[in-house]
Amino acid sequence: MKKAHGGGTKHLSGQLRDMNNKKTLRKLLTRLYARPPKTDTSVLRESFRTRYQAFRSLLTANNNALELMAEMEKTLAQGQPFGMAFVRGHSTAVSVNVYKMIQNLEVLSDGKFNGLYASFKDISRRMEEILARQPEIPEGRFVLPLSEIDKDDADQVGDKMANLGEVSKKVGLEVPDGFVITASAAQHFMNASGLQDEINRLLKTLDINDLESLYSASAQIQKLISLAPVPNGLADDIDKHYRDLSSGKTPDPLISMRSSAMEEDRSNVSFAGQYRTQLNISEEFILQTYKDIVASKYQSQAIVYRNQRGFRHQDVIMCVGCLTMVDADVSGVMFSRSPRNPESHWVEINAACGLASQVVVGSIKTDFYKIARESTFEIIEQEAGIGTPILPEERLRELTAIAVRLEEHFGLPQDIEWSIDKSGRVIILQSRPLAAPAEVVADIQTSAADEQEALLCGGLSASLGVASGPVFTVRSNVDLLEFPVGAVLVVEHPLPEWASLLNRAVAVISETGHVATHLAIVAREFGIPAIFSLTGSLSKLKNGETVTVDATGRCLYSGRKDEILRRAAPPANLMADSPIYLLLQEIMALVVPLNLTDPGSPYFKSKSCSTLHDVTRFCHEKAVTEMFSFGERAQFDARSAKQLGGDIPFQWWIIDLDDGFREGFDIHEKYVHMQDIVSTPMQAIWAGMTAKPWRGPPPVSMKGFGSILFRSTMNPSIDPAVGSSMNARNYFLISKNFCNLNMRLGYHFTLVEAYLGSHLTENYISFQFKGGAADRSRRFVRVYLLKDILEHFGFRVEVKHDALTARIEKKEKERLIEGLKVLGYLLIHTRQIDMVMGEKVMVEHYRQTIMQDLKGIVGPDAKAN
Amino acid sequence: MQKNINILLIDDEVDFLEITQKRLVRRGYQVVTALSCGDGMQALENSPVDVVVLDVMLPDMDGIQCLREIKKKFPEAAVILLTGHASMHAGLESLQCGASDYCLKPVELEELVDRIEIVYRDRICRD
Repeated sequence: MKKAHGGGTKHLSGQLRDMNNKKTLRKLLTRLYARPPKTDTSVLRESFRTRYQAFRSLLTANNNALELMAEMEKTLAQGQPFGMAFVRGHSTAVSVNVYKMIQNLEVLSDGKFNGLYASFKDISRRMEEILARQPEIPEGRFVLPLSEIDKDDADQVGDKMANLGEVSKKVGLEVPDGFVITASAAQHFMNASGLQDEINRLLKTLDINDLESLYSASAQIQKLISLAPVPNGLADDIDKHYRDLSSGKTPDPLISMRSSAMEEDRSNVSFAGQYRTQLNISEEFILQTYKDIVASKYQSQAIVYRNQRGFRHQDVIMCVGCLTMVDADVSGVMFSRSPRNPESHWVEINAACGLASQVVVGSIKTDFYKIARESTFEIIEQEAGIGTPILPEERLRELTAIAVRLEEHFGLPQDIEWSIDKSGRVIILQSRPLAAPAEVVADIQTSAADEQEALLCGGLSASLGVASGPVFTVRSNVDLLEFPVGAVLVVEHPLPEWASLLNRAVAVISETGHVATHLAIVAREFGIPAIFSLTGSLSKLKNGETVTVDATGRCLYSGRKDEILRRAAPPANLMADSPIYLLLQEIMALVVPLNLTDPGSPYFKSKSCSTLHDVTRFCHEKAVTEMFSFGERAQFDARSAKQLGGDIPFQWWIIDLDDGFREGFDIHEKYVHMQDIVSTPMQAIWAGMTAKPWRGPPPVSMKGFGSILFRSTMNPSIDPAVGSSMNARNYFLISKNFCNLNMRLGYHFTLVEAYLGSHLTENYISFQFKGGAADRSRRFVRVYLLKDILEHFGFRVEVKHDALTARIEKKEKERLIEGLKVLGYLLIHTRQIDMVMGEKVMVEHYRQTIMQDLKGIVGPDAKAN
Repeated sequence: MQKNINILLIDDEVDFLEITQKRLVRRGYQVVTALSCGDGMQALENSPVDVVVLDVMLPDMDGIQCLREIKKKFPEAAVILLTGHASMHAGLESLQCGASDYCLKPVELEELVDRIEIVYRDRICRD
């Protein structure tokens, strides 16, 4: 083959190289000497139309992307609960819109910036990896004896059981004998059941704000899990460990089976009472109870709790502790510090005869004791539930010493469940970090005057705070479904299952119960005021009547008492630092930061885009440039820049993108006049610009003027005389519904862009403002003055250093016209006021003049939102 | 508002189909419905369609596969994908396969109408 091409004939690759060289040379010559070939006008118009349509789609996508980013930032800042559906939905929507921008830029620029796809792919891949992340469960044994466990085993046995193991192994206190069915076992069971996909589907479709949907999905999922078989190997393991227990002190012992979920029992999240605990389980019911407890991960209150506290369902793996039942004489709960004030110097103990479970559920009356933490362990307060106190002083000191010791060992205030068995031994059933209350206040007593006005007073402050709403009494699960958002929950007993209403209730009143119940713990975490043991509340309160609850003062008032409600603390940010919150933060680090700010910088390249915001910025800048240069590049004179004619201040250049000039306008004219322009947004801006005559530059103090002189000498680029290229001119790119105004008046750079069409989805105004001649502090004052004014007129404003961006989106045309008039006015009348922004009196003077003028222009009640 | 737009709704949720069809017809659009991708393809053969609103989960094939089939045989039809479960991967893949839009359920009727009109207008412009 080679020979056939040889013998004086040039090698094929050589021929190709020659051809390429010729081509390159021709291209070069064309570029140097020749004007671009004239193209048929109809072809150009068609090409222009395609580009303009891509440009418009790009702007809509840009707008949507920026709005989604703002929503993500707002959600993170406000601390309102959000779930994975929000994170996944917003990540998807924002990336879809950014991708649309890249596709449209490709159309606009004939593929000039295709490098963007690689940058985008890299960012979106990293986002997908974060979203797909699964909890890591180290492989391990299915069952572990409690005696082998300490707190380092939390990733296998859950926090609750790891802490209990630690109490025995490291602190040396008595705990029940037992074993734990581990996280590996739970994973094995769930994988073998093949149910996870179906569960995920049910979870994704449930609407947390619709109680019927919540309870129905919760019941369906629990049923699925309870009916699934436990794999043989796991069942054998459980059986073997139960046999080992049985060979101990008591043959065939009854056991308590307790949930011990991963991610439970952290200092700021209690998960108190969210999962199931079953007592007195005999051998034949162990496997069924195990499944029921695993299923209790999906109890309605647990789903709500995770949603409120920012936990992903898949991160919660249910381990189960199996402990021999304690034959309890007395049981209770104690806090190593007051649960309402973790700085307090006393231990609080609640105690009752019998099992500890009755105390935490709040179904019985308990004794209450307050004991000084100091070495004397002095009894500060004691109150018997029924008759005389059941714990003698000696016992109280012993318990207090244990509470202090456990706090010292774990390094945090503790919430401890304990029992005293028939032989008199104190046995610890649980020790977990004390949940921090949303509001910390020293106990406040009600004043006599308050009490006289009150409907009811007394009881216990289970969670401090004040709130008001209509009464709604819940007696059964049927009542749950009817519970309205914003009501005061009234119950007889503070059962843990009522916690599923704590994302809807504003306060809780219970006829019985005390501060150590699970419901009280969760109410404190959520910052929902609660009064427990308020005798007479059930009979006295009628459904629908509005009451004001003062849980700090322990009184209930009829109607809405604003003087009391003024004491309400701001809502707690329950999401901060939660796993979902951190995950959204991680996602947002790939979405929101803007690194490409200066289009003139050599780093303003597609490959420098490291966030989705960078991509939007790059696409927007390049799209505007492409549209701008299209006329000149294609020698399409009729469509290139025209100067605005007439008696007007400054020079303005207009580029018609499509249908911005009136029909019949002679496109060969050098000048265009306002009456030739039919662009609605440009007309609105112009109306604002010319509504009031410019009063000229403000009288400048020498200090302000000196600062400008100094900056001008240091930086020639801010001198308006420097630079006469198109980039430095003021130009409008317009169509009937669209306007993009680039303004470089003197020392300021301003960009206004608006689309006012018939689809709300596409409508927006975007305003960017930066620069100024005065020193930084004066520029800041002006930017904040602008911010106040724009916010008054319904703009969403962000300020970074001396740069301001303001947006309005998805509003009716009429509203946006008002917004554009406001901007038009401000563009002209705030141009040089930074010079006088050092003087407070002047700032106020300008604010008042501007507001007065604007109210005259757009009406006194105008607000663009 | 543009009214003479032919819309095809493909979704296996009968309630959603019926309600959406009724509301769109009330606004003056011509609407046909299909419960599966196969039925949808048949509808495209039988009558003119400007905009297809396609659910991602269908009984006979997934929405993206259906989108590919539609685009192969009817490249001019503008397709909006609807999904109950947001997935970045599916969203981006559908745009790569020629979808005009990808939106998350639940979607307000006003928003759906807006999106239909926009993709229709853009489709006309690109013709």
